[in-house]
Amino acid sequence: MTEEILSLITKYPKELRYALAAMQDMQRQFKHVPREGIELLAQHIGCKTAQLYSMATFYKALSLDAKGKHIIKLCDGTACHIRGANQLIDGIERLLGIAPGETSQDGLFSLELVNCLGSCAIAPVMVVDETYYSKVTLEKLPEIIDAYREVTP
Amino acid sequence: MNIVIDGKSCTCEPGEFLLEVARRNGIYIPTLCNHEGLLGQGCCRVCIVEVVERGWSKTVVSCIYPVLNECEVHTNNEKIKQQRGIILRLLQKRAPQSEIIAALCKAYSAPALDKLNEKDGKCIICGLCVRACSTLGAGAIATVNRGITKEIAPPFNEPPADCIGCGSCARVCPTKAIEYHENETTRTVWEKTFTLVHCASCGAQMGTQEELNFAAEKAGTEPSTLCDACRKKQLALVMADVYSAT
Repeated sequence: MTEEILSLITKYPKELRYALAAMQDMQRQFKHVPREGIELLAQHIGCKTAQLYSMATFYKALSLDAKGKHIIKLCDGTACHIRGANQLIDGIERLLGIAPGETSQDGLFSLELVNCLGSCAIAPVMVVDETYYSKVTLEKLPEIIDAYREVTP
Repeated sequence: MNIVIDGKSCTCEPGEFLLEVARRNGIYIPTLCNHEGLLGQGCCRVCIVEVVERGWSKTVVSCIYPVLNECEVHTNNEKIKQQRGIILRLLQKRAPQSEIIAALCKAYSAPALDKLNEKDGKCIICGLCVRACSTLGAGAIATVNRGITKEIAPPFNEPPADCIGCGSCARVCPTKAIEYHENETTRTVWEKTFTLVHCASCGAQMGTQEELNFAAEKAGTEPSTLCDACRKKQLALVMADVYSAT
């Protein structure tokens, strides 16, 4: 992993302003910002670990614990909430056994609640990885999720 | 220029912070996050005052309010007392164990705020300790998380590797929220224990070895084994030798 991290961070100049971009890259590649990554990045930039740790814990887009392979973002903003996002939270819990903020046992899915995705007209909205699903219902849920499950041979 | 604070005429330079002008003129304004070595923190809001400028009144934070125009300032009228009381009570909800906040609440007869949940501890997250640590150059602690879960902590919630045990964080803390223990031979802060170094000549305590090494590295010298007083004495002796030899 050390080599992978180094190849990610050495692309950036040794300046603090690139720290966030480097950590986003780590998040993308490893589905979290590993501790080693923060420490190596601090060495690379020449800043303190505490400063990067502060940054990594501030942004919701960065996570210190490993996230699942697929990230489900479920909108619980006003419009989606009214249109039954609550039921979808329960539905996902029944399907995958995870509450918001948790990762499923098989490491495939993480559920995150978001406050608004700016797509209130198609509420309730769910985003899996980069794909938006509109007007999601409890009936549609299993189909959407199953498409992301890895097919065991 | 001249401004009037609580009926008293005070002279000040344009751009000077209101709190400094008041203090210089012997007018007391309570503060928590204000520290003379780390000015401009401006987050505890305890030092609010009312400024009346050309008939317009506004409440400002005196420690970060630069005086630019002639004005009249009220540091302790009913309006300010009431507002300060609410701020103090909110701070107390966040740091119920803090003695200084409790005392200030009493002094300003702060109103009861029953409906709010109380947190635990003494920290008001003013961030003065983080600033002291990074200004010094150690940078061992930082603010972690955000919003209601924000706190001051070392990275990964373990004893910080970068900590040199100087204790500056505990010293600047207005509410004594940082645990700090010291005996003859050791000092413990952030759950990290340091060995204390004593002067080779007089035996006075000089701080931790990490602290001395850090200072020496910054100054580009070797860590000293003598305390300031003994070092001066030694220098004086050298000087005396030079003079008596000539």
